[in-house]
Amino acid sequence: MSERLLEIKDLKVKYGNIEALHGISFHVDRGEIVTLIGANGAGKSTTLMSISRLPPPEAPKVVAGGIFYNGESLLGWTPDKIVSELHLILVPEGRHIFGNLTVEENLKLATYARKDTPQDIERDYQRVYSLFPRLAERRKQQSESLSGGEQQMLAVSRALMAGCTFIMLDEPSMGLAPLLMYDMFRALKELNKEGMTILLIEQNANLALKFADRGYVIDTGEIVAQGTSAELMEDPEVKKAYLGG
Amino acid sequence: MEALFQNIINALQWGSFYALIALGYTLVYGVLLLINFAHGDIFMVGAYIAFGVSVFVLGVQGLNLPGWAVLALGVPLTMILTAGVGVTLERIAYRPLRRKGAHRLYVVITALMCGLILENGNLALLGASRKKFPELMEKTVWTLGNVSVTNLKVLVIFAAFAVFGILNFIVTRTRIGMAMRAISYDKFAIPLMGIPVDNIIVFTFVLGSGFAGLAGMLFAMSYPILEPYMGALIGWKAFIAAVVGGIGDIRGAFVGGFLLGFIEILVVAFFPSTLRDLIAFSILLVILWMKPTGLFGVARHQKI
Repeated sequence: MSERLLEIKDLKVKYGNIEALHGISFHVDRGEIVTLIGANGAGKSTTLMSISRLPPPEAPKVVAGGIFYNGESLLGWTPDKIVSELHLILVPEGRHIFGNLTVEENLKLATYARKDTPQDIERDYQRVYSLFPRLAERRKQQSESLSGGEQQMLAVSRALMAGCTFIMLDEPSMGLAPLLMYDMFRALKELNKEGMTILLIEQNANLALKFADRGYVIDTGEIVAQGTSAELMEDPEVKKAYLGG
Repeated sequence: MEALFQNIINALQWGSFYALIALGYTLVYGVLLLINFAHGDIFMVGAYIAFGVSVFVLGVQGLNLPGWAVLALGVPLTMILTAGVGVTLERIAYRPLRRKGAHRLYVVITALMCGLILENGNLALLGASRKKFPELMEKTVWTLGNVSVTNLKVLVIFAAFAVFGILNFIVTRTRIGMAMRAISYDKFAIPLMGIPVDNIIVFTFVLGSGFAGLAGMLFAMSYPILEPYMGALIGWKAFIAAVVGGIGDIRGAFVGGFLLGFIEILVVAFFPSTLRDLIAFSILLVILWMKPTGLFGVARHQKI
């Protein structure tokens, strides 16, 4: 029986005076991989930023509707508590790793608010290094010197080190060499099998739908199509607009 | 030769004050990219708090604590109270601007104003008359040939090195120190790591102001006359020392502080003392010509 983890209801948000989402609704069940696909500027990142509860001006202001996690509204929550207490994390577009810290320090910093035992944290380090052996090789390096793909691995690893069970990924494939991208998605799939819930945003709709269980198509701030990945891949409209014929 | 040793010891003591204050500038800059121009005045407030605490403790009837006990009580109390002043400034002056996304320039101007408010607030509260700091330590002088060292000098120098060691440990080894370094690189991503940004900032002000309080207390013990403007010039100089060392890097603040101390003392050893600041700052200017990012600074590449 599926359990509703994240639920977005008629969400309207604004950046300044500009409404960026016009009342979208969708949900993610525990253990699912769900993707939001859509063109540049459709409102995908805006949606994730709203859920993360980052303050304006970076993130939009919610003007109507609701965001629920495990049935509880997130609107009163601060962004750090969403990570440290609800274990819901955003891996933002552009990765935002701390380039002036080493790989190891980036990972350690992500454990800042964890309340579980050192053994649990140690197990997660081992997990990260076995998922991404490249990071183990580079653990003493300044993370600024990593390649784009490695930085993305680090960004995902931080989510793991933060002890999160729900990851929102904003364009993880951006700027990645195909081989690294393949590694990355294989690792994510593995995490998902172990119980990680994933909400993925992608411009590369082909990739996203192959990876996800279900998907939503978002266009200029509205959900225009939804269904299982297989259904969406067969949908003539979706095919025409997002899958290149 | 003996004169040189004496000068080195004096320079170490003088540089210790610059180093202790410069560390506070650099900590706040390292986290917020804000030059906290009120910091010199926080040092001044620290000296007055030390004065208040010492006079109060000495004055409690029937207690009759020896000087060292007053010192042992006064140092932590002064540091805590001065840290409170720094955190209060952060809370009422800087944070509201940060919340509204104000440009850094306005925050710097606010810091300047806060410094003036502290100076003039002190003037209004305690008047213009100078205060004489009570003697807390039995003065011991050790002499070797013509070189003499007092226990107070040793204490001051020891304090500067100890503070540097503590800060270095915090910044490089602890998670909160990593967060302090990470904030300046990418403030956006800090809450996404589950870290409350404001807590890190408050902690930074606690450290910087607490050690400014310690510096104020030691300074007042070394030069026992207090006046409301005592923090202004030394604060400017310590700020310059931090910049020459490479602002944002605590090694830079430490080395820069001692460098300025050495230059000043050595200039006075060989030239008329009226030339001290002229020559000292000319030397620092040349250093910045050659290395504009400061001795330990690296050019910060603009984040996209």
